[in-house]
Amino acid sequence: MMSDTPGEQRFLDGKRVLIVEDEAIISFMLEDMFAELGALQVDHAASIAAAMSCLNGLTPDLAVLDVNLGGDRVYPVADALEAKGVKFLFTTGYGRGGIEPAWTHKLVVQKPFNVEQMTTALRELLGLD
Amino acid sequence: MTWLGTILPFRRSCINGRVLYCERFGAQMSNSMESGKEHDAPVASLALERIVRSPAALVENLPIGVYTCDANGQIVQFNRRAVELWGRPPRNARFCGAHRKRERDGSEISPEDLPVAIVLRTGKPVRDREMVLERENGESIAILVNADPIFDDSGALVGAVDCFQDISELTRIRRQVSEGRRVSRYVMEALPTAVYTTDAEGRLLYYNKAAEELWGFKPSIGETQWCGSWKLFQADGTPMAHEDCPMAIALREKRAMVGPEAMAERPDGTRVPFMPHPTPIFDSDGQMIGAVNMLIDLSEQKRANEQQRGLIDELNHRVKNTLATIQSLAAQTMRGSTVPDSRAFEARLLTLSRVHDQLSRHSWEWADFAVIAKQTFTPLRGSANNGVRLDGGEVRLRPKSALAVAMVLRELAANAERHGALSTPAGSLALSWRVAGGKLAIDWREQGGPPVSLPNKRGFGTRLLERSIAEELKGVAQIDYAAEGVHCTMEIPLPG
Repeated sequence: MMSDTPGEQRFLDGKRVLIVEDEAIISFMLEDMFAELGALQVDHAASIAAAMSCLNGLTPDLAVLDVNLGGDRVYPVADALEAKGVKFLFTTGYGRGGIEPAWTHKLVVQKPFNVEQMTTALRELLGLD
Repeated sequence: MTWLGTILPFRRSCINGRVLYCERFGAQMSNSMESGKEHDAPVASLALERIVRSPAALVENLPIGVYTCDANGQIVQFNRRAVELWGRPPRNARFCGAHRKRERDGSEISPEDLPVAIVLRTGKPVRDREMVLERENGESIAILVNADPIFDDSGALVGAVDCFQDISELTRIRRQVSEGRRVSRYVMEALPTAVYTTDAEGRLLYYNKAAEELWGFKPSIGETQWCGSWKLFQADGTPMAHEDCPMAIALREKRAMVGPEAMAERPDGTRVPFMPHPTPIFDSDGQMIGAVNMLIDLSEQKRANEQQRGLIDELNHRVKNTLATIQSLAAQTMRGSTVPDSRAFEARLLTLSRVHDQLSRHSWEWADFAVIAKQTFTPLRGSANNGVRLDGGEVRLRPKSALAVAMVLRELAANAERHGALSTPAGSLALSWRVAGGKLAIDWREQGGPPVSLPNKRGFGTRLLERSIAEELKGVAQIDYAAEGVHCTMEIPLPG
């Protein structure tokens, strides 16, 4: 399937991506999507603590954050990414209304999403269009 | 001409007293007699003339009790009404002719505290003293007493005169009124709703306990105007001057209002949203004499609304997350295969659904591993799996652990059904679990199936094991693809 992805779609070529998502099964889909889009490395964290320790290592090129991590809000991770200048977007089942006012200016992808929706959001995030 | 009571002849001083007494009570009368002369009004009859000319006869017919005492307090004169009120003639009574004399609270009055005794002791009048007289037959009446000293020409205190009237009816009505007021005050206090009243200028007259609680302090009666709130805001949070509050408008415009919603800030900074109901009060002449306001605390309602909104948001979040999970399950099932395996997808979906059932049965707090283990082998269709042995008791798992473990077991079972011990009648599977050291230890052992070989690709099950059990749940998972059968062990930390 990966080989089916056209070259212009592999716009994440060589990029490091951090996925923060507490639902394992959903994280698989994201991992697969990013692999299809050409990402070099996809790191995964299921909690704020895990995400923070990921950020202590190599800084990712972009990140996708699930807003609700088993009841905790992901905003501390968003703050850390903002401080490092890493581009990121939110994924959530709550919709834009479920995002704290301080973060509503960020890109939000509503769950469930397909690869096209995620691609559109990522291209916007990276300023590719 | 004579008073009803004629007292012993040796009390000659009574004449003197009578004269003084008559002067006092007859002053008005002699004036009118003089004016009668002036206008030459004819006297109707002899009997009437007798009354008119004799102040004593007038006193005798007064509708109030009147009596005179000498300097010792001995009653020397009294009128008919006094006898009626006492319920008997005074005999040799001092100070008062009644059988028993009590204060309003029922306590007996000692003789030296009776009005006449006080007048004779101090030489000063006693005004408007309320007492209760008890008759010999047990009846009692409330009376209002005025007593005055009597001086002779040389200024010596020679006696006292006591006028008393029955105020039983008045007392009863007064008690009724105050009882009514007490009851309504009691009702107001007992109300769980903040209520306060003001005069026509909006100054606080009364507020109940609930109002004090809503305001968070005690505003001063008679001073605070319009509303007892420390600070007022409109529903949108903009400050509201007290003179612009609904109560002020209701008083100004003399009309009852409901709302608009406002917010009170207490001295401690906490805020209470409330709905005011100011209503002017009019007297029987239609004059506005004040207003009553009831403040309905909306905090609870707002909290409930917020909670409901929160629940709907949470439900929406769960539904969306579940849809995303199903979407991913479909993607995982289809991944790398050219023919869609609808049966495998269905099995995964059903596993998810069954765990949800278990969780919702326990308020989404836990699910029993024993049930999850059993349901792993509950067939989707066809006959039940033989050769499966389950061994273990109830173990409560948190939602995340329950979901992960159920999905992992389903993948192991699917594998066993397709290639492992459950693919032949000769095969057997033992799934046992126990709790030790705050962990759930699971042992999955297949035997008697076809020879096992290492899988050639990392499937969904392996991925789940790594991510859910090891990474997310901080557990340990190991799969041994031994030739005699797959052996998988897992350790899941349990909540402390």
